[in-house]
Amino acid sequence: MISAYIDRLVPAYVRHFEAYVPSKPDDELMKLYGCAGLFRLNNNENPLGPPPEAQKVINRFPPPRASIYPSGDAYHLRHKLAERFGLEPDQFLVGNGANEVIGFVIKAFCQEGDNIITADKTFAVYEWVARFSGFEARLVPLKDMGFDDEGMIGRIDERTKILFICNPNNPTGAWWNKDRLRRFLDRISGRRIVVVDEAYCEFVDKDDFPDGISLIREYPNLVIFRTFSKMYALAGLRIGYLAGDKDTVDVIRRTCVVYSINSLAQEAALAAIDDREHILRTRTMVREGKEIVLAGLERLGLPYVNGEGNFIMIKLPMSDSLAYRKLMKYGIMVRTMTGFRFPNYIRLTISGREPMEAFIEALAKIL
Amino acid sequence: MDKHKNPTVTLSVNNDTVFLPVIVSFIEKTALAMGLSESGAMSLTLAGEEIFSYLCRMASPDDKVTINCTRGGWYVKVEFSFFIKDFDLQAFNLTSTVCIEDDKSLEDMGLLIASRFVDRFRYSEEKDEGIRLTLIKEKDYPVIGIEGPALPPFLSEYSIRRADPEELKTFALLASSFYREQVIPQFFNYPGKLVDMIASGEYQCVLAVDRKGHVGGGIVWGWAGIKTVECYGPYIFNQGEGSPIAERLLDACLGAIAKTPALGLLNRLSTPDLPQTYFEKLGELRISDKEGSSTDLPAWFRQMQEDPGSTVWAHKDLEGWLRGEYQRLVFPREIRTVTEAGETRAPFSVLSVIFDRQEGMATLQPVRYGSDAEETLANYLRLFEKEALGNIFFEMDLMDAWQACFTPALLNLGFRPRMVLPYAGAGDQVIFQRSSGLP
Repeated sequence: MISAYIDRLVPAYVRHFEAYVPSKPDDELMKLYGCAGLFRLNNNENPLGPPPEAQKVINRFPPPRASIYPSGDAYHLRHKLAERFGLEPDQFLVGNGANEVIGFVIKAFCQEGDNIITADKTFAVYEWVARFSGFEARLVPLKDMGFDDEGMIGRIDERTKILFICNPNNPTGAWWNKDRLRRFLDRISGRRIVVVDEAYCEFVDKDDFPDGISLIREYPNLVIFRTFSKMYALAGLRIGYLAGDKDTVDVIRRTCVVYSINSLAQEAALAAIDDREHILRTRTMVREGKEIVLAGLERLGLPYVNGEGNFIMIKLPMSDSLAYRKLMKYGIMVRTMTGFRFPNYIRLTISGREPMEAFIEALAKIL
Repeated sequence: MDKHKNPTVTLSVNNDTVFLPVIVSFIEKTALAMGLSESGAMSLTLAGEEIFSYLCRMASPDDKVTINCTRGGWYVKVEFSFFIKDFDLQAFNLTSTVCIEDDKSLEDMGLLIASRFVDRFRYSEEKDEGIRLTLIKEKDYPVIGIEGPALPPFLSEYSIRRADPEELKTFALLASSFYREQVIPQFFNYPGKLVDMIASGEYQCVLAVDRKGHVGGGIVWGWAGIKTVECYGPYIFNQGEGSPIAERLLDACLGAIAKTPALGLLNRLSTPDLPQTYFEKLGELRISDKEGSSTDLPAWFRQMQEDPGSTVWAHKDLEGWLRGEYQRLVFPREIRTVTEAGETRAPFSVLSVIFDRQEGMATLQPVRYGSDAEETLANYLRLFEKEALGNIFFEMDLMDAWQACFTPALLNLGFRPRMVLPYAGAGDQVIFQRSSGLP
């Protein structure tokens, strides 16, 4: 309860917003749930860990460097990304995780009375940042588990500034192909910012999956988000980036917080980005992990949503939050989907054989 | 679900009887302007007059009281808020100033009289916000007729959407026709009231409606606490067994509250149409009506988020039951027991009461624990008996260790723990029910 004086200082859109409460640290959770070990299958982390070169950087990091400020704008990493994608360094902005760059874009383009458009059942942070910044988030229902392009276009008005698309979508794994993304961008015809969040793009092995960064030259209103948290397994270091047209990025840079990415994260990302083998190894692990889980789900007769990405959604004949508690007793941590507006679904991060088998075994016990 | 601000008019005065006519006029005129009938406004005014007179007797004329009148759509709420230094909180025990056995003495008790004039009355003490006395008087609505609307056909195609006022009234009438009265909320008997409740934004409703406007079912929900939403329904009309409408209605409700502060969704009036796989059964409460018959109503709960675990306080007399319930419900809780170490306790306890006279219900909430806990509780029970209130509850918040100290007194007086409501208060809440009539 805050005092009446402080309460008067709080904007209404913040007063009615509920803070996100992250889960407790693993050791606390294990104590509370009474489990001896814990398989973290809730955050779509990569159990293989960072690519070997990135691991070497982390191992070699000299402790005295912790006293030195990092590069304020991730200078070397931006140059590396430019070289890798054939763009200019100033077409990239690096953030403390992709979550941070969501805030940069919304702050750069939205003012009082503006709105953003996204899906109702997708990564929640677009909606959250818009709402706690005082902007309307227009949510378009998914169609066939994927983003509904026509539905989104139908919600545009003169105050719409940004459309957020998650490709492939978290948590359904549905995705737009190149043609569909192009058609959408053509319909928008440069009049709104289109953000395509490609947090899971490296997991997709489909010929017609679009590389959003390659479309930036044609569509100056297109902004692409990518992260080092998922495929590159640097979630604990918090680093992600956006790419876009130089003039567009120049506007976004004005709202960007500098010095927010630590030195270790920048160097590890720099070392990780060229490791193609790591991507292939991870894709193999995901493919094999999915085979184990899907076979188990078929045996149990449970429906599921299996799209692209290192996760699947499973429909349960019970409340997902109850299933979470019961699975935790067996040391299995999944993500409940009620908050994503998929009641009674859980999202499972695909991992190696042992955790996948442990999950299926625990699931069979709790049903 | 927005918790939007309702229109409020505020008056601030000293606790001096010289202002009594001002208070009376303020409440009466505001209540009329906010839509109460003359008799309703008069009742609320009389209650407010009793409260203010009581405060004038109890507090110094230098102390200030703020009176907020709020239009709630289907009710008018009057709140008296004040900070009074060194105020004797015991004065807010309804049983503190009179002899319960003496009817004449009861008549002199301002707070009790005030509670009789209104539909809901509560006293609360908010940290940093002082003391608050709340009076709620509802608008008068006509009762529905006996004949309900025609049975809707089976809906082969329908949409789940918000309802317009006429559809809402049809929904309320259908629900009242198709379901026994024990499983529909009383406000469904007043369709106009339901319309006003939805229009106020405090409650929401979605219906399954086909293109011809046939209503195949619906669900209503609203806040039942800071972190808990309560739903009524889904109610389904003539759609056959296994209709997916119930799940679609519930999905819509869950989608609407998914990103709100709600930690739990509660259903206390369940029907066979409730999709039980969405819920966990917490327990049952036995509710008696004025004719003396009783119904066991199960409480179904759904947690809206992943449980992070927590620590709760319990008296050793409750620990075993509590541990069993947490184990049954698979809630990770560290139970700490309160101990008596001979410390000096405050001499008196203070309890707040929420009256719901329409439901014959009184709910006690502890404000302060003192060594007279059992005597104070017993006085309340005698009072409730005289007021013909048959459904007596006690809500214990397990976040506060001192509240656990009421446990022995409660058990001695025939209260029994009936269920744990996760996160219903500052922490989990145990609902005790006075056990007369319970198995």
